[in-house]
Amino acid sequence: MVLLFSPFFLGVITRVKAFFGGRVGPSVFQPYFDLAKLFQKKCVYSHTTTWIFRAAPIVVFASVLAVSLMIPFGAFKAPVRFSGDIFLVAYLFGLARFFMIVAALDTGSSFEGMGASREAFFSCLSELTIFMNFVTLVLVAHQISLSGMIGAEIPLSWKLMGPTLLLVVSSFFIVILAENCRIPVDDPSTHLELTMIHEVMILDHSGVDLAYMLYGAAAKLFLFGGILVPILLPIHTGHGLMDTLIFVVGMLGIAIFIGLVESGMARLRLNRVTNLLLIAFALAFFGFIVRLWRG
Amino acid sequence: MEKIIQFPWHVPFGEFTLKLDPLSLIFLTAIIILTLCAGIYGVGYMRSYQGARSLKAHAFFFLLLAVAIGLVVTANNVILFLCAWELMSIATYFLIVFHDEKPSVRRAGFLYLIATHCGTFCLFLMFFLMARTAGSMDFTVMAHTTFSPALAGIIFFLAIIGSGVKAGFLPMHIWLPHAHPAAPSHVSAFLSGVTIKIGIYGICRVLWIMGIFPNWCGYVLLTIGIVSGVMGVLYALGQHEIKRLLAYHSIENIGIIALGLGVGLLGRSYHQPFIAALGFAGALLHVINHAIFKGLLFLGAGAVIQKMHTGEIDKLGGVAKIMPLTSTLFLVGALSICGLPLFNGFISEFMIYFGLFQGVLALPLQGVVFFVLGILSLALIGALALACFTKVYGIVFLGNPRSSIETKGTEEVSAWMMAPMFLLAGLCIWIGLMPAVMARLTFMGGNFLAHMEPSAFYLGKILNPLSIINGTAFVLLALIIMLVFVRRWLLGKEPMPTSETWSCGFTQLSSKLQYTSSSFARPIVQYFRNTLLFRRYGGEVSGEFPQKAQMSSHVHDASEDYLFRPVFTRLRNLSKRIDEKSIRYTQIYLIYIFVFLIFLLVWKMRG
Amino acid sequence: MTTWIDTSCILVVFLALSILATYRITGMIHIFVVQSFVLSFVPFFLHADALTGRDVMLVLATLVLKAIVAPYILFWAIRHMSMRSEVKPFIGFGTSIICGTFLIAGAFWVASSLKLPGKLISDLVIPCSLSTVLLGFMIIVTRTKAITQVLGYLVMENGIFLFALSLFDAMPTLIEMGILLDIFVAVFIMAIVVNHINEEFEHAPASLRRTKMGETL
Repeated sequence: MVLLFSPFFLGVITRVKAFFGGRVGPSVFQPYFDLAKLFQKKCVYSHTTTWIFRAAPIVVFASVLAVSLMIPFGAFKAPVRFSGDIFLVAYLFGLARFFMIVAALDTGSSFEGMGASREAFFSCLSELTIFMNFVTLVLVAHQISLSGMIGAEIPLSWKLMGPTLLLVVSSFFIVILAENCRIPVDDPSTHLELTMIHEVMILDHSGVDLAYMLYGAAAKLFLFGGILVPILLPIHTGHGLMDTLIFVVGMLGIAIFIGLVESGMARLRLNRVTNLLLIAFALAFFGFIVRLWRG
Repeated sequence: MEKIIQFPWHVPFGEFTLKLDPLSLIFLTAIIILTLCAGIYGVGYMRSYQGARSLKAHAFFFLLLAVAIGLVVTANNVILFLCAWELMSIATYFLIVFHDEKPSVRRAGFLYLIATHCGTFCLFLMFFLMARTAGSMDFTVMAHTTFSPALAGIIFFLAIIGSGVKAGFLPMHIWLPHAHPAAPSHVSAFLSGVTIKIGIYGICRVLWIMGIFPNWCGYVLLTIGIVSGVMGVLYALGQHEIKRLLAYHSIENIGIIALGLGVGLLGRSYHQPFIAALGFAGALLHVINHAIFKGLLFLGAGAVIQKMHTGEIDKLGGVAKIMPLTSTLFLVGALSICGLPLFNGFISEFMIYFGLFQGVLALPLQGVVFFVLGILSLALIGALALACFTKVYGIVFLGNPRSSIETKGTEEVSAWMMAPMFLLAGLCIWIGLMPAVMARLTFMGGNFLAHMEPSAFYLGKILNPLSIINGTAFVLLALIIMLVFVRRWLLGKEPMPTSETWSCGFTQLSSKLQYTSSSFARPIVQYFRNTLLFRRYGGEVSGEFPQKAQMSSHVHDASEDYLFRPVFTRLRNLSKRIDEKSIRYTQIYLIYIFVFLIFLLVWKMRG
Repeated sequence: MTTWIDTSCILVVFLALSILATYRITGMIHIFVVQSFVLSFVPFFLHADALTGRDVMLVLATLVLKAIVAPYILFWAIRHMSMRSEVKPFIGFGTSIICGTFLIAGAFWVASSLKLPGKLISDLVIPCSLSTVLLGFMIIVTRTKAITQVLGYLVMENGIFLFALSLFDAMPTLIEMGILLDIFVAVFIMAIVVNHINEEFEHAPASLRRTKMGETL
């Protein structure tokens, strides 16, 4: 499911951006073609690199896929759910990040070092926000598992905890933008010096490795969306097909919204990104306070 | 599960009683593993000093330290405990000052000696307060005594200071970043892995003996954990020397352990046995885990220093090509200390997180707020540790060498030094992939500290998620293997072309252009500059053709530079003044002692 | 209706927080406009079932005064002073946000021990209004320019307005109108004063101006 749909999600965003830029834009299936092309190519490696550089794309992709086991998609229940899986989700992303950063440093290029350094910094702040949101959701749902948190209880909670959930959703949305290097934080379409975060870190990867990296990034965006959609659209019809349909519609909505944000906003100056992330944290914290107040 | 051994010992109030309970068992596990590894490693490491120094003395003190620590964790009597504690401190001092020709090492040794004795003084006071109330020097008897809340508070404070100095809680940590880098690497591994844990053991023992503490004690412990953890890792990020960095990381991990103990203590105070057991068990598991991976990291760092002759991170680079095995083992340690899945650090952090979240659901408002702070700081610590170890690993082992090092291809350290590292790395992965055994053991310890009967229900409640994590880890491994095969299938057999690193068209790459550790950590350190007292010196250039300029940056340890140094300078000045005014001869000191003795005698006679 | 009031309250606090994080004075004023706009519709939700003329009047008055006239005057002042539009804070933006977060927490804590007579339509109104007041106060304290201080004052007033709304039925309309008028006059006077000070400095020697403008105003 993740493998199938995540590039589509990316394609939609690009299409929306193109639409608002006054262009037709590439087909929504373009990311598939890109990936297919990359999968057929050979890799080029730098003399400087070691096996870490070759291993990183594999670990990144594998850990993102492992996370996908813990997130429900519409009628598809998450195959792995247990009390406390949220830490595993957060730390699997951490594993992916570790290898990404280390691989970037492996090339010995200062460009990639710069991207790695920024990634390490911004992720500290977004990690805080993610955990703050988790705490609030746990308090709302009284369950310490991701499937439980964003599962059946949510429609009831919207009635009681509407403001809290609103805050959680908005702060989580900022985190999505930051963690997946979308526009106000990073520019996914360039590795220009000023925007160097994610794109510059994978500058030296090529061929299959690059495909893994890009696929991993697309899947990560999809997974974050997959956490957000059940909170936003807490409709359970009980009918499998309908639920899945609702989920897909929600994902499309998020993709379009991200596209809108990207078209409407300029990239922030790098030292202001931290403030954006802090605002996301403040929102999450505010949500937590409101939860306590109502509780 | 308890065993008591007794030997005749003719010391007033002293009894040579050794007792093995779950708490001592857990600490003994860590001690034995690390004694073995550091000892074997030391054989190889000390080869290069053969003839130049007396290695026998070193070996003697090492073994003495191991025995003393073993005694500390099994002693069941105050006098025996304190004797072993002193023995341990002194043996450690001699190990630290191995390179006693360097003034910095001598200074570090003295600093350690003074710090540890201040701590021991508090412990003396604490134990005698306890013994006075209990009327016995025996731990088991003490455990059956009830203490008044006020006394419990005082004892708690003394324990925190006394053991905290040893453990390296902020701000009593100042000796630690000096002493650990000064010692030979295997000693640093042992110090960091085991000796500072004895501080934790001291606190655990007191927690067990006292049974009931006022509620605020738990909050204090939690706060200490949060502060030490976050500040430890932030200081570590600002360091330029690998062993000093690792020493600061020990403070961070001690912080995590204290956080876990705080969770446990609060769970106990609020009568939530599951939270209590989880917090204590997580902390104890982290004690073992930290011993393993920090030992591994220190041993790895030692291997690098021995081959490269420097520990400055910014002078190293590309070590992975020279020492591939060491670098892989170091990677295992780095991944473990960041608490990433597949490795052991994750398991203990998971238990603490789990306890914290359970607490958020079950405790009253005040507790919820503190537990949320705990969760946030643990998340922050995790992310910062990741930044710090990507920095260490990426800069030291990857990229190009930053200074010219003559090497002949690969050059690993000797088998004496490799074997312990392999063992430790294996343990990291074993606990990471099959946590059940260790989780059971530490949960037993957790139950013991929480003063509750071992309950299969609670054990299941923690083992169940752990086993699923286990399964997921194997799925992850399977996915990795699958992806490797897909890649191999797509790429075919022939070797891939290699070329220069692509740097946007710029071709004159030199190793000096690489990102350094200082620049890597700069965004974070700069962001926290007011907390860390991060300062840059120099670095301004002016004019169209700037002249040579110098720039250095430094992170000031606030508690060292602004708390202890001024206080001790004042103290020294004061004592100097007294010294100049009155005391000239040794005899005068003796007279003072004599007068005091007579006073004591008279006092005793009257009573 | 409670949901709408809740949402408005939260939005008001969030916007106050984002004013703290804004770099440009024009940006701050824009956010303030949005905040006032949101706030002015709260009376509608208060009496959703039976709208009275009083509600409509209040909404209109607030809307016109706060969301149109006051910002207009502020923009006018900026244009006329041709001042640089960067905000100069005493403490960094990041620290401001964190402090703001703690202030919100503090406001909720204070509100939890506050006992008010009468039943409120939403329990979020009081803590949110307190938070907004505190955040406004923080803007006044930590930002250096005169115009940002006025803005902080306005934000604070928005908080008081929200507080007053919770006591809506117990308070005569006249008082509200008085408050609104007060603000209006205050902003008006500020604009005149700031403008005059600026003109004074236009004539003053350059060295003096550099040290005095921006910093002490």
